[in-house]
Amino acid sequence: MADLKVDLCGVRLKNPVIAASGTFGFGKEFDEIYDIGVLGGVSTKGLTLEPRLGNPTPRIAEGRGVILNAVGLQNPGVEAFLRDDLAFLKSKNIAVIANVAGKTLEDYARICERLDGKVDMIELNISCPNVKCGGMAFGIRPESVEEVTRAAKASLRRTPLMVKLSPNVESIAVNALAAERGGADAVSLINTLTGMAVDLERRRPLLANVTGGVSGAGIKPIALRMVWEVCRAVSVPVVGMGGIACAEDALEFILAGAAAVQVGTANFTDTLAMPKIVSGMNEWLDGHGIRDVNELRAALIV
Amino acid sequence: MKELLAEVLHNEQIAPGIFAISLKLPEDVRVGCGQFLNLSVGDGGHLLRRPFAIMGYDKGSRVAVCCYQVKGEGTHILSRAKAGDALSCVLPLGNGFSLREEDKRVALVGGGVGVFPLLSVLRAFHESDKHFRSYMGFRSGEYADMFERYDRRSDYYACATDDGSLGAKGNAVQLFFGDFESAKPDVILSCGPTPMLRALKAGLAERGVHVPCYVSLEERMGCGIGACLVCVCKKSGREENVRVCKDGPVFEIGEVEL
Ligand SMILES: Cc1cc2nc3c(=O)[nH]c(=O)nc-3n(C[C@H](O)[C@H](O)[C@H](O)COP(=O)(O)OP(=O)(O)OC[C@H]3O[C@@H](n4cnc5c(N)ncnc54)[C@H](O)[C@@H]3O)c2cc1C
Ligand SMILES: Cc1cc2nc3c(=O)[nH]c(=O)nc-3n(C[C@H](O)[C@H](O)[C@H](O)COP(=O)(O)O)c2cc1C
Ligand code: FES
Repeated sequence: MADLKVDLCGVRLKNPVIAASGTFGFGKEFDEIYDIGVLGGVSTKGLTLEPRLGNPTPRIAEGRGVILNAVGLQNPGVEAFLRDDLAFLKSKNIAVIANVAGKTLEDYARICERLDGKVDMIELNISCPNVKCGGMAFGIRPESVEEVTRAAKASLRRTPLMVKLSPNVESIAVNALAAERGGADAVSLINTLTGMAVDLERRRPLLANVTGGVSGAGIKPIALRMVWEVCRAVSVPVVGMGGIACAEDALEFILAGAAAVQVGTANFTDTLAMPKIVSGMNEWLDGHGIRDVNELRAALIV
Repeated sequence: MKELLAEVLHNEQIAPGIFAISLKLPEDVRVGCGQFLNLSVGDGGHLLRRPFAIMGYDKGSRVAVCCYQVKGEGTHILSRAKAGDALSCVLPLGNGFSLREEDKRVALVGGGVGVFPLLSVLRAFHESDKHFRSYMGFRSGEYADMFERYDRRSDYYACATDDGSLGAKGNAVQLFFGDFESAKPDVILSCGPTPMLRALKAGLAERGVHVPCYVSLEERMGCGIGACLVCVCKKSGREENVRVCKDGPVFEIGEVEL
């Protein structure tokens, strides 16, 4: 059994596998299928100060090797999360990462303040492509990435801050540096790539929102490249995601420099994807005589 | 709710473009009528599973049967699955239909592939004292067999087709209201295309019928288990969404916006 423990800016994870925001709810449903306590952590559905109903349906479509979604940040609001969902996640002995979004700098500051000290980490979603108030406005220009990071950081005394970066930008490494300057303790990437799918026969878009975020196996090469670029640019830990479907995929991101990984769409293809990734990592490392997963981190030979 | 690797026993065409697939499960599950499963189509390229009603489940042999229409890429690939293939699935999903003890006279109103969840009701209540009256609509006569070959239980059955090639020309809702006085149902269960469900809702309102009516809805899904909030529909008159996969797929017809 290899040692899978990793440290993410002071947050200790029993393994580097984290459920990606928006694909795992608040963990209760997947826990009906397997004990989610085997995971390193869970990033919650994107939370806002007030409840949100999200976009009209259809909210999902499929391409080859990818999916598109436009859920539009439907969530019960931060108060309902604190009241109804947090205790369950905490009882699972996993890192609880609250993914948060807002419309204004003040929204971000307030939601962070509300969650400070209550969760293990904040993941600042400044990259949701599907709603105007999903923070995408903050996620594009490096100046505003820095500004929103600083605003969030100022209201966090006890909880580390991770900033989730959008791939729909000129240079993701430049934005990662901006987040680091703003005080981010870690960065995560990538959020979905903006895309579109149409129904030729009906001559209509497949998503009610017309455009949506592309995720899943097909985006892995792009995500891996971006994670590698960001790891070379910043000194804070990087959490990599985008198309991870098996242990080998996850280890490739770690090799490129990621401290941990998140798994999203693969949970839809196989509800047991994440526990399989955890055990598969162990097998791979054992098979290669590697005793600690951290030995592989940033060990890419270029 | 379990993630299982099922073995395909049969996968054969039962009507034009309609297939019946039998899946042998590695372990027993508890399936109620109107529940569904989320089935992998078996290739790596399609990341989403396809939801299908569990039309029948036999505890003894652990075999689940679903019938599906070949529509897009995923069901096309599924139609090529052979006996012996392994397909992963999650089941049982959703709330399903439930009948109260006092619901003795049951009306089933179905259209197209919506007949399959209703067939699961007929199967589940095979040995009950309930009276079923079934009104089914199809595009044309050649599809009618997809209901009739499995129905051994209806006390009354009427079918309609869009093109009039079999039964009445029209739809299941028209058949149902035409027979309403003799049927006097205690409960109505329905599944079919949204326009059909809307017509049913409007018809009930117009006639001032207050018989409880439950409909099974379809919506595109991500996780299929209630976590991703992809499959929602709006609650009537409320600023609230429900998840078709977890809170549904069966809802009281007045509870949701169609
Ligand atoms: C609860 C439930 C029960 C169902 N039961 C049956 C059944 O017993 N028999 C049957 O023939 N069909 C049933 N359907 C519809 C069936 O799921 C779709 O026809 C099927 O998913 C289409 O897949 P495809 O690969 O042909 O289409 P594609 O266009 O390739 O599918 C692309 C994506 O859209 C989704 N999708 C497309 N159409 C629908 C739809 N109408 N509803 C939900 N998702 C859709 C697919 O699942 C897939 O994720 C049911 C749907 C739901 C929600
Ligand atoms: C249905 C769905 C909902 C999502 N919701 C969120 C969200 O609320 N907040 C967020 O930061 N990312 C959200 N994401 C993006 C994922 O967390 C992840 O960044 C992206 O899907 C890439 O990883 P993957 O290829 O493993 O899915 C969502 C993705 C999907 C598919
Ligand atoms: S499909 Fe994920 S919540 Fe229904």
